[in-house]
Amino acid sequence: METILEITDLCVHFPGRGGAPVRAVDGVSLHIAPGETLGLVGESGCGKSTIANAAVGLLAPTSGRVVVAGTDIVGASPRLLREVRAQVQMVFQDPITSLNPRMTIGTAIGESLLVRGRAAGAALRARVGELLQEVGLRPDHADRYPHQFSGGQRQRVVIARALALRPALLVCDEAVSALDVSVRAQILNLLVALQARYGMAMLFVSHDLAVVRHVCDRVAVMYLGQLAEIAPRDALFASPRHPYTRALIAAVPDPDPAVQRARVSVPLVGEIPSPANPPPGCRFHTRCPVAVARCAVDVPALRSVGAAMVACHLA
Amino acid sequence: MIALSVRDLSLAIGRTNIVDAISFDVAPGEVLALVGESGCGKSVTAQAIMRLLPAAIRQTGGEITLGATSLSNLPARAMRDLRGRQIAMIFQEPQSALDPLATVGNQIAEALRQPLAKVRAEVRQMLVEVGISDPDRRIDQHPFELSGGMCQRVMIAIALIARPAVLIADEPTTALDVTIQAQILALLRRLAAERQTAVVLITHDMGVVADIADRVAVMYAGRVAETGPTAAVFATPAHPYTALLLASIPRLSDVPKSALAVIDGQVPQPADYGAGCRFAGRCPRADRRCVAETPALRPVADGRLVACFHPVGG
Ligand SMILES: Nc1ncnc2c1ncn2[C@@H]1O[C@H](COP(=O)(O)OP(=O)(O)OP(=O)(O)O)[C@@H](O)[C@H]1O
Ligand SMILES: Nc1ncnc2c1ncn2[C@@H]1O[C@H](COP(=O)(O)OP(=O)(O)OP(=O)(O)O)[C@@H](O)[C@H]1O
Ligand code: SF4
Ligand SMILES: [Mg+2]
Ligand SMILES: [Mg+2]
Repeated sequence: METILEITDLCVHFPGRGGAPVRAVDGVSLHIAPGETLGLVGESGCGKSTIANAAVGLLAPTSGRVVVAGTDIVGASPRLLREVRAQVQMVFQDPITSLNPRMTIGTAIGESLLVRGRAAGAALRARVGELLQEVGLRPDHADRYPHQFSGGQRQRVVIARALALRPALLVCDEAVSALDVSVRAQILNLLVALQARYGMAMLFVSHDLAVVRHVCDRVAVMYLGQLAEIAPRDALFASPRHPYTRALIAAVPDPDPAVQRARVSVPLVGEIPSPANPPPGCRFHTRCPVAVARCAVDVPALRSVGAAMVACHLA
Repeated sequence: MIALSVRDLSLAIGRTNIVDAISFDVAPGEVLALVGESGCGKSVTAQAIMRLLPAAIRQTGGEITLGATSLSNLPARAMRDLRGRQIAMIFQEPQSALDPLATVGNQIAEALRQPLAKVRAEVRQMLVEVGISDPDRRIDQHPFELSGGMCQRVMIAIALIARPAVLIADEPTTALDVTIQAQILALLRRLAAERQTAVVLITHDMGVVADIADRVAVMYAGRVAETGPTAAVFATPAHPYTALLLASIPRLSDVPKSALAVIDGQVPQPADYGAGCRFAGRCPRADRRCVAETPALRPVADGRLVACFHPVGG
């Protein structure tokens, strides 16, 4: 099968404060096909950003393989990495910190094209103008500085910069989380349209399930550094198989009072355990409403159930 | 009966208006949501009610009444006495709102202005009520030993132990995960009903409003755009801003990848508020009158008030 991103048995452990390492990502495998959008959801600290950073080579895994467009980037030479980077771009949550305040946005957007010798002079300027238009800005904005734009406009600039090299994979880490509701819709529409136009694949990291459902083809649900479930979007939302996926979906308040109040959802009890000291057996068993004795002992393997892959003894 | 009444509250920084004549009432046991996008004036409104405005911000008009007591001309000392006992507040970042050096038990007892030794049983009972497991151990712990969700429960315990008539909760779940948010919202709903506390819940999340609020005031750029019973406002939003805002939210029930409704442009900064309706620059229904005159809040169907010359469906 052709993939643009293939992650196999990825482990990323950080040194912990009191000895035990933080097992931020602990044995995750996933892949993304060309043109496909995979959503990555889960609660704070479950390892979403760590996976995103490993996928673009910003972070060296403790073990496992990360293959981007056919190239294994773990331990790759700087030259090889640089070549692969042209295929993978990243958009972060906070557009202000990802732009250099002293660089015009035109320079920022054109930089990668110039450095790689893809365009220069008038051709570069024209290409930057096109990119600005693609994200709904004007070519004459090129001479402005980041502070002259609103948060939503800055995120458009960051997206234009990421698109410059026509990447095969765009990694978005909470790319719309810091935006106002009214501006978030503009950026989501833009991402969906760009993806349809260029057929690029996306790894879309978010803690917002409704947003993920809106833009993704498949969804991976993480809990404490591991995959709980990975499934096509409609299967995941229509018939979630992992108890955690069910709880997560049930906890999203529906912005329709009639729907929301008719729901009989019992909130999960308990707190999220620390990834430095994950529970034995199924990591979710301390909060799982249907756990049985075995769940506290045996680690459930990810196995296929219907259209989904689920790590639950009872699925 | 009304627990808290805000009438024509206006706030300014220097000569720049940031909140313009907003009004709302909350009854005992009722949850009113104040919802709106970043910078629309939700938090400064809460600070004005608590009389905890930062030095840069002045109240330029309006009247705030707590039960039968007008707060506006109350001496600072009397206000301090009311705070905590009659009206309490919880914030978005529970970890930073708690005193890192004091134990959970001491901080809750402090709200009763009693030494912990004297009120330990009561404090322990409050921890149980806010759903903290293992209260006998937690009571002597420090905030850093607790998760974010637990810290927010402690904040709620501090706010409610003296049985205030009014609770102001400023984005109490925004920093929390959805599964923990669901727990905290269920807790607030239950305690408000049991204790007949009037709650002003500040949020930018329409899902949270739909979940917990009896009534809602939708704010835009320092004004109330629309207010009324939550069910009516969501079912048939009358203000163009409310309607577009609701249509721009991705929902678990919508068609994936379909175009979301978009509000062109961006939220204005206070310095750019100008005359007329503050939404006029982004509003598809705006005409010349909207740019020139300020629409007053006036009644429409289903017990609602809307500040618009051309309301949707009317
Ligand atoms: N550089 C680091 N050093 C030590 N620990 C780290 C580091 N980066 C992340 N962690 C820890 O690894 C775990 C996973 O973090 P990560 O940022 O991937 O989570 P996340 O799912 O993106 O969370 P959020 O939704 O809050 O962004 C967390 O416990 C985090 O504290
Ligand atoms: N201490 C302050 N000094 C100066 N200006 C302030 C201060 N606090 C708030 N403002 C300004 O007052 C206006 C209203 O701010 P406020 O904090 O009430 O917004 P908000 O609705 O709570 O937004 P958010 O959703 O981001 O919390 C904004 O324009 C803000 O920049
Ligand atoms: S008053 Fe005018 S500009 Fe304001 S919301 Fe109504 S129609 Fe739009
Ligand atoms: Mg993250
Ligand atoms: Mg605020």
